[in-house]
Amino acid sequence: MRLTILAGFLGAGKTTWLRHQRHIGAFADCHIIVNEAADQAVDDLLLQDAARLSLIAGGCVCCDARDRLKRVLHQICDAQSTGQGPSEILLETSGLAEPAAIVAMLAADPILQRHIRLQEVIVLVDAREAPAQIGREPLCRAQIGAADRIILTKIDQTPQPLHALRLGLAALAPAAAITAAVQGVAVDLPALDPNAQPLRWAQARGEPIIAHSLDLTGVDWPSLSVWLSALVHQHGENILRIKGIVDTPAGSLLLQSVGRTIQPPEQRSDPPGRLVVIGRGTSLCALTDSLRLWAGLAAPD
Amino acid sequence: MCSGCGAPPLAGHWTDAGGASAADRLRIRAARAQVLARVLAPHGLGVRDGLLVPGLTLLASGGRQALVADLDALWAAAARLNGQGVDPLAGPVGG
Repeated sequence: MRLTILAGFLGAGKTTWLRHQRHIGAFADCHIIVNEAADQAVDDLLLQDAARLSLIAGGCVCCDARDRLKRVLHQICDAQSTGQGPSEILLETSGLAEPAAIVAMLAADPILQRHIRLQEVIVLVDAREAPAQIGREPLCRAQIGAADRIILTKIDQTPQPLHALRLGLAALAPAAAITAAVQGVAVDLPALDPNAQPLRWAQARGEPIIAHSLDLTGVDWPSLSVWLSALVHQHGENILRIKGIVDTPAGSLLLQSVGRTIQPPEQRSDPPGRLVVIGRGTSLCALTDSLRLWAGLAAPD
Repeated sequence: MCSGCGAPPLAGHWTDAGGASAADRLRIRAARAQVLARVLAPHGLGVRDGLLVPGLTLLASGGRQALVADLDALWAAAARLNGQGVDPLAGPVGG
């Protein structure tokens, strides 16, 4: 089963976006799991037309309600084993959840690991609030760093042009696609102004986040896998994402990581290419030299 | 499913995905053991992969050793055995 994680800070517009997606027929055969940190849940009422809906209220699924999320997911897996499960699952997290913690939980559970494939982490960002929120809330930044797709919401309520915010978000999540929506309806963003300066937030940990593209020429799979596993083990909190199609004896594999968790690689027909490593306080030179040394190749001049 | 405890084991480690056949997986394990031996030696550690049995044995000075299931467990055990771990971005690597 494919799992989409819908995250975003409190009030980013997750439920509004999801309601519209359901209205236009997306996520039709989907089990929707709604998580609210507060005891008094509202979001499930807004989505009650969904055929399969579970509510986890009074706790956040990335931390104190993690076991309850696991239980719900196990029940869905059970249903699937008897042929009554959905084809996909959508998890709308609370505004306080960190997607990377949920991904790590999925990878560590033997049942979930076999039944569920992470499709996409969608993070909604309130265009009005984000400039202040991202500076103030490390959690907001962590959510953005885990995104495959960022959707800017409430852009009709923002007077200022969004170029600086979009460039700033791209710097926090270089691999994420950035789109926009108003009341859940997708809206085209204008072309980026080439002269715009990205918004910059005081870095919580001092170092900027940089995307590096590593050349894997001559690096075989055993060396790459040993090196990558050591890298995420030792530097997991600073390596935010790894993404790339790599060559192995089993063909091209799509490798992806969120935080310390490397997801089960997927077979792809695309040709292998470079490996993107997005990290804080890392340099391309240090990564390349280290990889080539571990692979038994001479460091590049 | 483990017939002893009834719990399903974790699906293979992500690094196992590189081999499509049993022969491939065996070749990858042998090659991986060579890479590990090279990168662990400067940190005072060694490794043994029995190939026909699951897991790896990590060896340290004084005869200390740890049996580990996969590479994630290996790096954690390396830190316990040599006290500082193995950082790919710092420290020596044998050529």
